[in-house]
Amino acid sequence: MFKIGIQKGGRLTTPSIEYLASLGIEVPRNGRELMILAGDFKILFLRQKDIPEFVERGIIDFGIVGTNAILEKQSKVDIIKELGFCKCSLVIAGPSNISITALNGERIATSFPNLLRSFLQKNKINASIIEVQGSVEVIPAMGLADAVCDLVQTGSTLKDNNLVPIATVLESQAVLISNPNSTKKWRF
Amino acid sequence: MSRTIIDPKILKGTRDFLPTDMAKRDYVMDVMRSVFRKYGYDTIETPVINYAETILGKYGEEGDRLTYNFKDSGDRGIALPYDLTVPFARLVAANYSNLPMPFKRYQIQRVWRAEKPQKGRLREFYQCDIDVIGTKSLLAEAEVARIIVSVFEELGFENFRIKVNSRRLMNAILDSFGLDDDPLALIRIIDKMAKIGEDGVKNELSSIGVSQNKITELFDAFSKGDFSAYDMSEIEEFMGLCKDLCIDDKYIEFDPCLARGLDYYTGIIYEVVSDDVDFGTLCAGGRYDDLCGLFCKEDFSGVGVAFGFERIMLALEKMNRLADVPLSSKVLVTLFDSVSTAASLAIYNELVCAGINSEIYFEPAKLSEQFKYAAKKQVPFVVVSGPDERAKSEVTVKFMDSGNQKTIPVNQLISYIKGYV
Repeated sequence: MFKIGIQKGGRLTTPSIEYLASLGIEVPRNGRELMILAGDFKILFLRQKDIPEFVERGIIDFGIVGTNAILEKQSKVDIIKELGFCKCSLVIAGPSNISITALNGERIATSFPNLLRSFLQKNKINASIIEVQGSVEVIPAMGLADAVCDLVQTGSTLKDNNLVPIATVLESQAVLISNPNSTKKWRF
Repeated sequence: MSRTIIDPKILKGTRDFLPTDMAKRDYVMDVMRSVFRKYGYDTIETPVINYAETILGKYGEEGDRLTYNFKDSGDRGIALPYDLTVPFARLVAANYSNLPMPFKRYQIQRVWRAEKPQKGRLREFYQCDIDVIGTKSLLAEAEVARIIVSVFEELGFENFRIKVNSRRLMNAILDSFGLDDDPLALIRIIDKMAKIGEDGVKNELSSIGVSQNKITELFDAFSKGDFSAYDMSEIEEFMGLCKDLCIDDKYIEFDPCLARGLDYYTGIIYEVVSDDVDFGTLCAGGRYDDLCGLFCKEDFSGVGVAFGFERIMLALEKMNRLADVPLSSKVLVTLFDSVSTAASLAIYNELVCAGINSEIYFEPAKLSEQFKYAAKKQVPFVVVSGPDERAKSEVTVKFMDSGNQKTIPVNQLISYIKGYV
């Protein structure tokens, strides 16, 4: 029996269930259960951040996650298919439209420290990464950071918090991932 | 009254290491230690001064000549270690009933040789050994190979190879050619292949009385690389275990000409070379059968290698891998004036308690002077807490590389500095 991990509650949950249905895997979800049997599959509802690691370790065979989650964790998983939904960008945004070199010496709040660090290194920018777990856009208003690095879908949250995109770190979308050993057993 | 000034010179072949040198040497030793520990090796230390009989007579005439030995004030013969193997053998002989067997250890210590000082020949230098004793299992050989690969990978070597051979296979080949009168003499000559070339080896073989026919036969076998007629089981089993330990094939090369000059190897032998730099052998060793025979009645079979620490340092310098090794301090807290002392000390204490390597300037000197000190010590961040900053509960952080500065609330200083790591 194959185990598939999908996001427990978030923007990926509904489109993930719809995608599985399009493959003929009906997920009869009716409440807060974390595990559901769907034909030959066991569907596990997990935190998105845990899914790449569980797939890498072979605890679950497949997962549906955003590209950002895989790259942030530097997980060694196979990306089987880009699913085309939940498209978004990881962007750096600040109070005004400044060049990225102006970020030197500044504080950037993010939940994606690894992706931000490699972007800064690649662009030879020396800035302080302030790691937070969420509500990133409000951190500059609290005086804890000068800029943010966060996922943006429409850009309205940035606008609401008086932030302007400065640079794109990464384009992300939902992808189907698998453990390299499971990939060999299953053809998509 | 005039004082006699002593010339602050040091002996030829010894070295002083300044902080920038030591930062690099410590970094390399720390990488090695961390790998050794990862594989369950603990360390030991043996004395610098030894009874002369412990050290002398173990390395041949040449070795004895190069061993530092002298009489102490009690007229005892004293010798300094020539390598780490003999002191290790003595330690095992004196303690084996209390040691866990098999016993594995790493040892990084200075050794001394009374060489004529010249380029690449030092009188005082570090050796870095690992050994596993008390087991004949080939797994020990494979584990040592795994450790060698991890050390060189983690130090940033890319194109290196462990050349391996089996002393048993080599003896079998020599036997089959009837060249077994003095196999050690032959092995010593074949070992020079890389140094003196094929013709040099042929000449030396013929000079010890090996017939032309035999020499041709021997070189034919080596050049065809076909050893299927001999017992290859040791090498094959070793290679299989290396694979099971996930050692990439590219790092291991079977080299039937590899002999290693030392007479006491009896099984698998290794030698590490790098194509990135031409410094010869960076690490070498092998299986031996009688480590402590001179010091006790027990026999201990073991396997070990010595990392050429000084050569590895030279190679890494040449490959420019040590340019970014930092000195200790990450932050210098300045002393703006004597009124600021308490506030600056509070900041300094908070930084140190948060695990950030920091220091405080000892006098309320001109800031430019304090910055100059920071530059000389390669400290990346300088914190200023003057009256203006204190009035607003802020600090100013100056970046020594760009000269830029940033003022932030004092309670954000720790996360700000940590955000750069």
